[in-house]
Amino acid sequence: MTLQYGQVLHYLPDLLLGAGMALWIALVAFAGGLLIGLAGAAVLTQGSLWARIPVLGYVRFFTYTPQLVQIFFLFFALPEFGVILSPITAVLIGMTLNAGAYLTEIERAGFASVPQAELDAAETLGFSRPQTVWYVIAPHVVRTLYPSLSNHYIIMTLGTSMAAIFGVEELTGRALNANAISFRSVEIFSITALIYIALTIIASVLLWGLGRWLFRVKARVF
Amino acid sequence: MSAWQILANEAPRFFTWWNMLFLGQAVLNTLVASVVGCAIGYALGFGLATLRLPQVMPLAAVRTVAVLWVEAFRRIPFLVLLLLVFFVSQALRLEAPLWAIAVTAVAIRMSALAAENVRAGYESVRPQQWEAALTMNIPALAALRRVVLPQSWRVILPPSIVHVLSMVKETSLVSQIGFIEITFAAKMLTQRGFSAMLTYGTALVLYFCVSWALASLARAAERRLVARPVLTIPTP
Repeated sequence: MTLQYGQVLHYLPDLLLGAGMALWIALVAFAGGLLIGLAGAAVLTQGSLWARIPVLGYVRFFTYTPQLVQIFFLFFALPEFGVILSPITAVLIGMTLNAGAYLTEIERAGFASVPQAELDAAETLGFSRPQTVWYVIAPHVVRTLYPSLSNHYIIMTLGTSMAAIFGVEELTGRALNANAISFRSVEIFSITALIYIALTIIASVLLWGLGRWLFRVKARVF
Repeated sequence: MSAWQILANEAPRFFTWWNMLFLGQAVLNTLVASVVGCAIGYALGFGLATLRLPQVMPLAAVRTVAVLWVEAFRRIPFLVLLLLVFFVSQALRLEAPLWAIAVTAVAIRMSALAAENVRAGYESVRPQQWEAALTMNIPALAALRRVVLPQSWRVILPPSIVHVLSMVKETSLVSQIGFIEITFAAKMLTQRGFSAMLTYGTALVLYFCVSWALASLARAAERRLVARPVLTIPTP
C-alpha cells in the first residue's frame, strides 16, 4: 500500500467548503431543535399529564431509534403518502426532530437545576414573575445548559456526515464524490477525518470562549 | 390506492415466518456488532484511561499518545471512521469479512468514548485514596485494581450501558458497507418490493425495542449503584 497524498490535495478546497456546509446543516437543525426542546421541556416540567405523555413519547421514540433510519423513513416512506422531500429537506427535518428530542431532555435537566431555595428567596423579596425568570431562573439555566448544549451542537456537526448517504454534498458527501473520481480512498478519508477533527476542535474552542465571555461558564466543551 | 390500503394489502405478505426469521437474524447481527465491539472498545478504553494516569505511566510521551488517540477518535464521525477502516483493510488486502470491519469500527470509536468514561470514574475517587495506597507501598497497578477501581464502578457502569445503546443506533450506518443488520435488512426487504413504510417502520420498532431494553438495564444499574442519579442521555 502506497499513500499518495499529492494526488488528492487539489480536493482540499472542495472538502473545506463541505465542512462549512456541515456546520450550516448542524446550525439550522440545532436552532430548530432548540425551539422544539424549549417547548418540550416546558411541557414536561409544567404541563398536565395528558400533555406530558405525547411529549415523552416523542422524546423516547427519537432517542431510542437511529437518526439514519428516521431520515430513511422520511425520505422513502413519506412518498407513499404523496409527500416527496428533497434530500437536504429530509435531512434537515430528520435532524431537527432528532435534535428536538435530545434537547428536550437536556433543557428539562436545566430547568430542574434551579434550587427551590432561590425561588423562595425571590418570592420573599417580592420579585415579579418576569423578574424571577430573568434574574434567578435564566442565569442558572444558561450556566448549567451551556456546556451540554455546546456539546450537542458538536455531536450534531459530526452527525451531519450521514447526510452524505442521501446525496447531500457536505463534507462526507464530497469525500465520497472525490473517492469515486480518484479511487485514492484511504488518502481522501483520512484527510476528511482530519478536517472533522480540526472542525470540532475549532468549534469547541470558539464555543468555550463564547461561553466564558457571555455567561462566565468555565466548563470545558466536548 | 391510498397508503393505508397498500399497507393492509402487504402486511400478510410481509409478516411471514421467513421474513421474521430474517429480521431476527438482523437484530442478532446488530446486537453482536455493537456488544462485541463495545466489549473490545471498553477493554481498550480501560487501557487508554489507565495509561493517562501519571501514577501508573511515568512517561509523558505515552500519556500524550493516549490523550491524542482519545481526542482524535471521538471527533471523527462514525460513518467516516467506518469507511476508513473499510478502505484501509482493502488497501492492506486483509480480505476481512464485513462483520469484522463493523466490529473494528465500533471498537475504535468505543475505545475513545470508554476512555473518557473510565477517566471520569477514576477521577470520581478522591486523590487521597491514591496517596494513601501509594504511601503504604502498594504498587500502582495493585492500588488501581484494589482501591480505585472498586470505588469507580458506580460512575463507570451506568453510562457504559448507555454507550452500548448509542452503538446499537450507530451500527445502522454499517448498512452502508453491506453488513446485514437491521437497517440493511429493511433496505433489502424494500428492494424486494415491500412498502418502505412497512420495512423502515418495522426497523424503527425493532430498534426501539432493543434500545428500550438496554435503557431499562441502564436505569436498573443506576438505581442499584448510584444513590444520587446522574443524567444519562444516549448520544445520537
